[in-house]
Amino acid sequence: MATTDVQGRTVSGAGGGGQPFVWSMVLPMVRAGFFGFTGYFAAAWITAMLTHSVIVNPLPATMGYIFGLLGWVAGSGIWEGWIRRAFGGEEAPSLTGVERYFRFSSDPKATAVRYVIFNVLAFFFAGLAAMAIRIELLTPDSTGWWLSEVHYNMTFGIHGLMMLLAVAASVIVGGMGYYLLPLMLGARTVIYPRLLGLSWWLLPPAAVAVFLSPLIGGFQTGWWGYPPLAQNSGSGIVFYALGAATLLTSSLLGALNIMGTIIYMRAKGMSLGRVPMFVWGLFAASTILIVEAPATFTGTLMDLSDMILGSHFYTGPTGIPLAYDDQFWWLFHPEVYVFALPAFALWLEILPAAAQRPLFARNWAIAGLLGVSMVGAMLGVHHYFTAVSAVRMPIFMTITETVSIPTGFVFLAALGTLWGGRLKLSSPVLLSLMAMMNFLIGGLTGIFNADVPADFQLHNTYWVIAHFHYTILGAVIFSWLAGLYWWFPKVTGRLVNEFWAKFHAWWFFIFFNMTFFPMFILGIEGMNRRIAVYLPYLHPLNEFVSISAFFLGAGFLIPAANLFISWRSGKKAPQNPWGSKSLEWHSPSPTPYIVFPEGSEVTVVGPNDNYADGAPEPFVWAPTAAGK
Amino acid sequence: MAVENTASLMDPAPERAKRGAFFFPMLFMGIICAAFDLGRFLWGGSGVPKTVDFDTGATLTVIMLLSMGPMLGARGKLSRGQDAAALGNFMLLMVVGIIMIVGIISTWSAVPIGLGYGGIYDITSGWLALYFLAGTLGLLASVMKGKRVPARFSAERWVAHNVVSFWGFMVLVWTVFFIVFYLA
Repeated sequence: MATTDVQGRTVSGAGGGGQPFVWSMVLPMVRAGFFGFTGYFAAAWITAMLTHSVIVNPLPATMGYIFGLLGWVAGSGIWEGWIRRAFGGEEAPSLTGVERYFRFSSDPKATAVRYVIFNVLAFFFAGLAAMAIRIELLTPDSTGWWLSEVHYNMTFGIHGLMMLLAVAASVIVGGMGYYLLPLMLGARTVIYPRLLGLSWWLLPPAAVAVFLSPLIGGFQTGWWGYPPLAQNSGSGIVFYALGAATLLTSSLLGALNIMGTIIYMRAKGMSLGRVPMFVWGLFAASTILIVEAPATFTGTLMDLSDMILGSHFYTGPTGIPLAYDDQFWWLFHPEVYVFALPAFALWLEILPAAAQRPLFARNWAIAGLLGVSMVGAMLGVHHYFTAVSAVRMPIFMTITETVSIPTGFVFLAALGTLWGGRLKLSSPVLLSLMAMMNFLIGGLTGIFNADVPADFQLHNTYWVIAHFHYTILGAVIFSWLAGLYWWFPKVTGRLVNEFWAKFHAWWFFIFFNMTFFPMFILGIEGMNRRIAVYLPYLHPLNEFVSISAFFLGAGFLIPAANLFISWRSGKKAPQNPWGSKSLEWHSPSPTPYIVFPEGSEVTVVGPNDNYADGAPEPFVWAPTAAGK
Repeated sequence: MAVENTASLMDPAPERAKRGAFFFPMLFMGIICAAFDLGRFLWGGSGVPKTVDFDTGATLTVIMLLSMGPMLGARGKLSRGQDAAALGNFMLLMVVGIIMIVGIISTWSAVPIGLGYGGIYDITSGWLALYFLAGTLGLLASVMKGKRVPARFSAERWVAHNVVSFWGFMVLVWTVFFIVFYLA
């Protein structure tokens, strides 16, 4: 039976298409906000009364956060959608229409769309913090009219934490991964859909707490939360710790779903060797989260315990501050690969379809993704060579430099795929190639950070800032945009305006490099990071960087407008606009609520990225034996 | 738009998958416990303080080991489809869960949070108390569902199986905790 015939019988009647939006649909969100707000202030106020303190002190703020979070989640619709049912209560009806986007829902597609919106908003506000930083650095001395040194510290701390845990950690894994994972595997949903639904509802309170932390004193530690400065910081550090722990928990709930779904819910015939590359990227990222996150999670809790419970893990006579560094970087260096591996895999998903060439060295590329996740798990110490004994240095220098080998597999697979192909240079392809270029620069400059003698010179300078922005903003965010454009027709049924997409791709690429490449020079010239005041000879280059950054920041309004306008009035997309062989394009666009048709099942007979001439279709549809 | 009959179509993972994938959250939670247990040697030194309430710790450990009886019984009954009979075992385990939470809290007065051993003991045992709370709530949910909507309990037996698996996990992590904090 032809694929198109089967698709014609998809249960599109349950798609909720045509259901008009009415404002009452957002009531669960309003209710969640009200419960969260009430929970926060009630708990903080009661705790302050019982402890004879004020609500901005660490303990009341902690209790307020916990009950505010519980209130927010309770108001989201989780009671009627999950808890009541779990205790044997009335079962709520499945919501298949527009309203599922505004309340707790077990539909992974709705969860993923909420992730995209959250990521865009978090990116916007964290980006504003970056602009505030660059305004401050327009002048070498401390400005009287803008940020004080204390506020400058708070600003870069918020910028860093939000960009990493509220943006980079979930832009590809959350917004795209949770949408595409079941579609690519031939499943209708993920293994624990309600747990995945919960993962999104943990994000907004955490982000709001971190952004509003200056209201209770802010924090001076940057996004690291290093003790003992954390204990001597403002009360806002508890929002940092709790917000970071909540964001990590959210990532973890997603990772558990990814692992379980990949292992147990693959379509018939989809052996591990036929799993799509993007799914392999998600798998590699999830293993890091499950295995590495506990050490950092416990470090955050122990740091918080020192602040509010009177323990002395990192301060006082029994305190070991270096232990926090070990726990913190145990995850947070590999966390970079949680951002980057899905981006790598995304390139390997897009490029074969764009070049109409089979993916080169597929098994080596998979080994590369898994190799990065394994080797990358053991190298966090290079972040603090200046604080550890000489014994550890050569070990971690070697491991860090070794990670370039599996990374090279991925790059070689991408280049080998392009070699001899007829590349159709659409905007997602252009952005993917730009991301590869940026990551190459970020990766090559990272070798100097891993090399102990060089690191001793470059540590804590703008070289490091430039390096990690090339890897995260330059690679992950560029790839995010590439993915948004690639799968936009899948989600909305419309095409993105290609002219504006390519225009802003070049805008980004030019101003991104004009902003961050000079930072390498600044670093070599001796500009320290985390400072609001610098020596006058660094002024001209800083001024150039700041002006470039303003153009870069302003440029993000272009894709925002392009995506919004294309969603509302873009050209109707064909079912498979890119000619991709991947399974997600075998269902109608936009994706119906029930993505795969009842009464038929797919059998996978080959990898989805074999575009060789005469290669067989990788998927065969057939009616199920029982007709169900 | 409410469409009742699509719910089952959207959640087609078989029981085997739902039970098997539960390994991953337990793995994560187990690594957290391992991190805390290792922290005992970093912050608690090599000896066990004399103030530690050994009797309570040993009693709780014995109770946990004995709870494997009703746990294994519940697993067998669920496997044989005797759901109603398994609920009695669940209620017994709930009582054990409450005893464990109260017992853990009672030991904190013997090793107050503060320097060294007390800090790592209290935060680790407090974390385990949260696990017991989660396990007890899971048991309560299963019991209530089993009594109110037996058909749904049977259709979603994987939930009860996972609650039982979680209890087995708790027996393991508590035993390791006892060895590390009371004996090592």
